[in-house]
Amino acid sequence: MEEITSGVEAKRIGDYFNLDKEIENAKNKGGLPVGKKLKIAILSSFTARGVKEVLNVECCRAGITSDFYVCEYNQYAQDIFNPDSVLCSFNPDLVIFFIDTMSLLGEIFFSPYQMLDEDRRIFIKEKKNEIKTFIEALSKKTSAKIIFHNFEVPIYSPLGILENKQDFGFQEMVEQLNFDLREEFKASGRVFIFDYNSFCSKIGKNRIVDPKMYYLADIKLGLEHLPDLCLSYLSYIKPMVSLGRKCLVLDLDNTLWGGIIGEDGLEGIKLGPTPEGRPFLEFQKYILSLFNKGVILAINSKNNPEDVSEVFRRHPYMILKEEHFAAMQINWDDKIANMKIIAKQIDIGLDSLVFIDDSEINREMVKRAIPQILVINLPDDSSLYVKTLMAVDDFDTLQITEEDKQRGKIYASQRKRQEIRKNTTDLAEYLRSLDTLITFEKAKNLTISRISQLTQKTNQFNLTTRRYFEEDIKKFSESDNYLIVSLKVEDKYGDNGITGVAIVEKSSEIWRVDTFLLSCRIIGREVEKALLAFIIKNAKKEEVKKLRGEFISTSKNAPAKNFYRNNGFKSVTKDGFMEIWEVDIKNIDYSYPDFLNIKEL
Amino acid sequence: METIKEIIARILSIEEAEIKDQTARDKTESWDSFNHLLLVSEIEKEFNIKFTIKEVEETKTFKELESLVNSKKR
Repeated sequence: MEEITSGVEAKRIGDYFNLDKEIENAKNKGGLPVGKKLKIAILSSFTARGVKEVLNVECCRAGITSDFYVCEYNQYAQDIFNPDSVLCSFNPDLVIFFIDTMSLLGEIFFSPYQMLDEDRRIFIKEKKNEIKTFIEALSKKTSAKIIFHNFEVPIYSPLGILENKQDFGFQEMVEQLNFDLREEFKASGRVFIFDYNSFCSKIGKNRIVDPKMYYLADIKLGLEHLPDLCLSYLSYIKPMVSLGRKCLVLDLDNTLWGGIIGEDGLEGIKLGPTPEGRPFLEFQKYILSLFNKGVILAINSKNNPEDVSEVFRRHPYMILKEEHFAAMQINWDDKIANMKIIAKQIDIGLDSLVFIDDSEINREMVKRAIPQILVINLPDDSSLYVKTLMAVDDFDTLQITEEDKQRGKIYASQRKRQEIRKNTTDLAEYLRSLDTLITFEKAKNLTISRISQLTQKTNQFNLTTRRYFEEDIKKFSESDNYLIVSLKVEDKYGDNGITGVAIVEKSSEIWRVDTFLLSCRIIGREVEKALLAFIIKNAKKEEVKKLRGEFISTSKNAPAKNFYRNNGFKSVTKDGFMEIWEVDIKNIDYSYPDFLNIKEL
Repeated sequence: METIKEIIARILSIEEAEIKDQTARDKTESWDSFNHLLLVSEIEKEFNIKFTIKEVEETKTFKELESLVNSKKR
């Protein structure tokens, strides 16, 4: 069966129909190998032609041989309630039940406001009960799991912008029904409400069907979207036939971080809150979330183990730690042998593994040698890593374990903390409630590139807007005449990373603040006062007399305009766009805001 | 780029050589109403054009389909 689908990348919808025919022919000849088997019934309120064909092909690709029963156009009620129906004797393992919003609402779709609000409420309540009756009857007559589509919430309203001023509006009707259905079947282990409304949003509700296809053939979802729909069904089907996977095996270089640790070194790899580092940072965060829901992690990588161990222990932005990994094969042996060792160490089948590697050669090698392993086609562009992994549904399960429930509680309490934040109105109280920790650090190799980048990109709270390259910062940092300090802001909700910089030119009498900036992410939290306090504290220590500040006005830095004035400095000169301010160090009493926790490295 | 003939042959499961100007929907078994829509949707995609509902209904032969596509391509 895989011969039929292998090699053919069915992108064109027409190809699915041809492949479907080939699969059916092979089935009839008894030529299909015995794989996983599944009987699927499709019930719908409209012409669902194409769903069976595409699903047949996608099941086949996943290694599942399926038999289908497709209900006649809008005949689902008869199928469900007639004890002698073909549906009942077919005895499906899975029922896909798809009623569309137009069929649900009928005439009400165009004239919902001809009814009283109360009648619309009653209508929705009745519809919900009707659906519940259908599903309960299905549950009794078959042993199938049931996927019921929720309803696409219309983007149109006869009332236009007044739609959401109604006591019980038209769109609200459908939303209410979706809400009620979700509540009704939340606890069920057999009935799954498929969020078709979200599916439509993902595609774009304006694009889900070509109107002429709807008028010509009652097609409610464009044929070109059927593969996406069927892949959504596969998310349910794979765990049903135990085709779910348990373990994510990861490469390291250019997968968990940018660059090659053996060549670029600890300071050279891209990982952290920079444009190049963030895709990897967030990729790790997402992988950690998979770990937290129970996915086993492993490493299969060609590296010196010592290099990797240094990254784990010393890199400030390494989200994943050694303790998260159940197996680590970090060596120069071939990846295929390593893969087999990993499966053995964890004691799971090779068919439970999902492999992620940026190198196409490695991917192809593993794919060819061990076809049971699911190899993810990681794109070249690291900004697409997270999205690619999020699309992998092979770790989905149909049940929630007790452990998962415990984790849910932890998330719930986190949510409560966030609610408190929303309810806080007093600014000082709010800032205090954030538990902010500011960490000052003088420039060193690991932070230089970020410091340079902040000078290049920061526009708003930037007193002089002087742009510096990494080499410039490096030169400054090697000179005794400069103080370069960066600050990192953390609070109870997370780490904002290095988001502030000051560059001060030192002489025995007077220090000149050459650069003073904060990333817009942390403006409004009085972090600037802490940065100034840090400079003044150091100047006092070295018994400097004066601190000189410069302000160079640009079209964007108005937020920083009154900074020196508001902090005790006196204006000395104003020359074109450049203002010079000074303050006597001896006389000024300037300390850290008391609601900020300060750490100096 | 696929030609119109190639698309028709693929979707209707017939040989390209069988497709003549006068090949018509009501004379070709596999050219049923559903396959007609499949054809339309693939041709629209391939040539980045759109048919109106009237054109879809009124196009009955290969010749008509081809000249319609050609007139839209310009």
